[in-house]
Amino acid sequence: MLSKGNAKKVTIFINEDTRHHFAPLCDSILSFLLHKKVAGATATRAIAGFGAHQALHSTETELLSEHLPIRIEFIESAERVDELMPTLYDMVSDGLIEVQDTNVVKMANQDLPAEPKAPHTEMRGAARLMRIYMGESDRWEGEPLYQAIVNRLRVMGIAGATVYRGILGYGVKGHTHKGGRLPFSRDLPVMISVVDAAEKLAQAIDQIEAMMVDGIIVLSDVDVIRLVRSRPEEEHADR
Amino acid sequence: MRTVNHAQLLRLHFGEADRYEGKPLYEAIVHRCKELQIAGATVFRGLEGFGETAALHRHRAMHNDQPVVVTIVDTAENVARLIPELEKMMDTGVIATSDVECIRIQKTP
Repeated sequence: MLSKGNAKKVTIFINEDTRHHFAPLCDSILSFLLHKKVAGATATRAIAGFGAHQALHSTETELLSEHLPIRIEFIESAERVDELMPTLYDMVSDGLIEVQDTNVVKMANQDLPAEPKAPHTEMRGAARLMRIYMGESDRWEGEPLYQAIVNRLRVMGIAGATVYRGILGYGVKGHTHKGGRLPFSRDLPVMISVVDAAEKLAQAIDQIEAMMVDGIIVLSDVDVIRLVRSRPEEEHADR
Repeated sequence: MRTVNHAQLLRLHFGEADRYEGKPLYEAIVHRCKELQIAGATVFRGLEGFGETAALHRHRAMHNDQPVVVTIVDTAENVARLIPELEKMMDTGVIATSDVECIRIQKTP
């Protein structure tokens, strides 16, 4: 199963009329990938192109449009790609295979339960605590800043973050943050607290600093006693 | 270039029902911090807690006394200047300090 992080993207350039054991090569490749349970593959027909034969194939020169370039792409882990490559190498009798490093940011599937949780990691010992102070009405690209920061931290794989709303305060901006009578006019102080390893927080700070207009980031060394992500296999065992 | 400064974080724990000269104590403290030109102060309300007297601080219809935490970040000198003032104002409660590194972000002039 493909997961977030480093992966390989394979692109195969072939021609529509190239055949493999009397069947169109494109179909053969796709059924091979499906049979091997590759996460997904897409074949795209081009409108024009040329290859090793130095002949231009386009919708105008190909009256029956049966000699057009086709591109098949799929993304899989490096090990899976290594495993599939010998067969693909033999199948592509006329064309080009390209492999490049890529980074899977999200892998979602409606039909399956949520993506598997990150393996349990237990943190013990030295870590860093980061507190970020801002106003509740601060915004970033249309959404509340605190929400944008938490989302960003989540994408970065930071262990966790908690948003606190204060009831009164003042700071960099000089004005007092107070609750108004109307919910939309209020600007209460907001603090986000984050605990993770020093290196991970250092990366997060660069991104957060770019998002914030006014505010303060406070860092302190802490000792973490326990930080365990839920362990699904044990939860099931308890039932 | 980012400037990381050494600073002190001060946390004051007391109850929301605590008062100073007729005003809620947390309001009086924020006001006093402003007068003393402390960089900033933020008041947070907790859901439930207990302290010195082991009496539970929580929300009640007749007597709302949820725990309150005031956090202040400033230089060690300013914090040292502030603590005696706070000691005069607070009746029961805890004052905790810790050393922190701080990054100030101020992009608006």
